[in-house]
Amino acid sequence: MKRLGLICTSLLVLLAGCAAPPVVKTDMSKFEAAKPRSILVVPATNKSVEVDAPNYLLTTLTVPLAEKGFYVFPVHTAKTVLEQEGLYEGEQIHKQPPEQLAKLFGADAVLYVTINQWDAKYVVLSTTVTVDFDYRLVGKDGTELWRANKRMQYTPQNNNGLLGAAIAAAIERAKPNYIPLTQMANNDVFVYGPTAIPNGPYSAKVQ
Amino acid sequence: MKRIMILAGLLALTGCATKSGLYEWGGYDALLYQSYKEPAGAQKNMQTLAAHIEALEKSGKRVAPGLHADLGTMLLQAGDKAGALSNFRRERELWPESAVLMDAMIKNLDNTNLQGSRS
Repeated sequence: MKRLGLICTSLLVLLAGCAAPPVVKTDMSKFEAAKPRSILVVPATNKSVEVDAPNYLLTTLTVPLAEKGFYVFPVHTAKTVLEQEGLYEGEQIHKQPPEQLAKLFGADAVLYVTINQWDAKYVVLSTTVTVDFDYRLVGKDGTELWRANKRMQYTPQNNNGLLGAAIAAAIERAKPNYIPLTQMANNDVFVYGPTAIPNGPYSAKVQ
Repeated sequence: MKRIMILAGLLALTGCATKSGLYEWGGYDALLYQSYKEPAGAQKNMQTLAAHIEALEKSGKRVAPGLHADLGTMLLQAGDKAGALSNFRRERELWPESAVLMDAMIKNLDNTNLQGSRS
């Protein structure tokens, strides 16, 4: 019963977070002028020490952008095509002219993400998981349409005394779960936060 | 406590995302994540995605952007060219924005037809 109460409380807090109106909106004039229908998401530049972070991040970007009403190019297919072109690393891909990438795929815009941080740090009986991303959307003519940065942190709490805290920290350190944090960061920049992008052509609100 | 908070967070996120949900994803993102994390399970994940897409098509629901195309690429990587081809064609049919990429994928497959599959 106590647990149910907790769940309800945290749900309410989080739902309230979703509904909160943006405070200062980012300038969307370039985005609105370009009116992109389709977005190519390319593998991220990785500044973290986790070599698999770009692959994991890649899997989280399609859903929020498509639900905003854009055609999102198949991320696994795009990654495979780029590899066939000899482009394996995000850093290499980000150095290609965006116009050329957009043309190769027939995309209206290209989304570049840089992973600044993706780690779990253990400090005195607690583990803090951090993700930090720079997002940049560039139009097919090379114009920057939008940019945002998001940093998300999570420290599991444990009230079962020292031993419980140590165990919780050890579990989180051994197997940190970055995906929910990454999803929250994506939803925040694209959908709910002050940097939220306009709706795409398939959004119910546009049609 | 930790689990509860994560669960609540996930539930809340799902709640936010489905309120105006355009598509049924069938766990596409999680399946792809699992396949990158544990490539040994990729075949099974591919089958799960294929079954989800088939169910959507049968019920006449619009399949989300990229699902047919990524399934096509997975099938191609597993050596099933015919399956890949039909999925690339379906993606192109459903999503005109995919035409340039899908035409290239289809053309590429036609050119390599009857040659050995890449692994």
